[in-house]
Amino acid sequence: MGAAGGLYWDWGSNTMRFDDVVRHLGTDLYRYAFWLARDRQQAEDIVQEALLRGWRAYPRLRSRAAVKSWLFSIVRNEYLRAMETSSRQPQSLDGLDPADERGVDPGVEMREALMALPASYAEPLALQVLGGFSCAEIAAMVGTTEGATMTRLTRARQALRRLIEPVKALRGGRS
Amino acid sequence: MNCLDYRRLLAAGEAETLEMKTHRLQCIACAGQWRENAELERELRAALAVEIPPGFEERLRNAVVLSRRRFLAAAGVAAAAAGAGAYAWLWRDGPLALDCIEFVMKDEAKSILLGAMPRAEAEAALAGTMPLERIERVGQVRHVGPCPFNGAMAYHVVLAVPQGKVTLLVMPEGRVGGTQRASRDGLYASVVELRKGSLGVIGSDSALVKSVVGALRT
Repeated sequence: MGAAGGLYWDWGSNTMRFDDVVRHLGTDLYRYAFWLARDRQQAEDIVQEALLRGWRAYPRLRSRAAVKSWLFSIVRNEYLRAMETSSRQPQSLDGLDPADERGVDPGVEMREALMALPASYAEPLALQVLGGFSCAEIAAMVGTTEGATMTRLTRARQALRRLIEPVKALRGGRS
Repeated sequence: MNCLDYRRLLAAGEAETLEMKTHRLQCIACAGQWRENAELERELRAALAVEIPPGFEERLRNAVVLSRRRFLAAAGVAAAAAGAGAYAWLWRDGPLALDCIEFVMKDEAKSILLGAMPRAEAEAALAGTMPLERIERVGQVRHVGPCPFNGAMAYHVVLAVPQGKVTLLVMPEGRVGGTQRASRDGLYASVVELRKGSLGVIGSDSALVKSVVGALRT
């Protein structure tokens, strides 16, 4: 038995009710969707659709301990599905081409630097930092190897450093 | 772990393990690298945490609730189509349905106070009659507990759906032989036969009872 005068049933953290799941993960799912779509309205639509799909499938989910990675994966699939049905081209989530960074002016703030990163770099960063997933978990979610995920994350951070360091150097010079 | 291993993991942003921490505490150069990295990680976390649009969480909740309503409505329509006249709500009081109402009026609170079953036990107890997962597709389960009812062991389930609260009495033993309904003191009950056992649904709204019965049998 749980709280609220014994009326509620406490199933523990591994067996959250779907409403609790929405409350706990909604924000992180939105942020992940934003870094995929780079558009606020679209991110919200993606999360809503993903959660509706999630709600329908939730009772069939065998391991509720895995609910977090499962919902992040649904958001990812929903983004790809939404891109398929729209005229917009999805950002490549697989590419690992340093040439993607060539069009970016150095000397930008972190948020701008992230916006300038290709989705193939920004996505694993969002999964790692917002979702708290390990390289192995991210690899399983995006269908790649752990080594490739580590490489992508390392290169993403290197790219960010290159982009923001001129600003930091300028600030340091002023102070 | 050597410096190369440590820095490879650090550069990829992996969470610090005990092994990594042990190395950092013993290596001044890697500790310096860790401090430099910590600033980047702080900035990165802040930058990734884009602002949430006003009203977003409420819109999400509403979307999920709306989806449940549609599901219940669709289940009701499907049940009506499948059962044709069987779902015409004729309030001929059946004795078992009246007992269900009496249970809610006299014994429900006591049953809840006696305590709920652990989830694993509830899953096992309901599996053969009305699986818990099926009930959870319809609404939020607030309580599952054993209760003696109609001379046998039954299971008392409190279910919250968007339109309100209903009580389920899952009776693994004995079949009602058709469908019974009753209405008394503002409560409505329907008892239906399942493949194994019977199910009583009790609520304060006849349409709600009907739609929950339909959803649970779909």
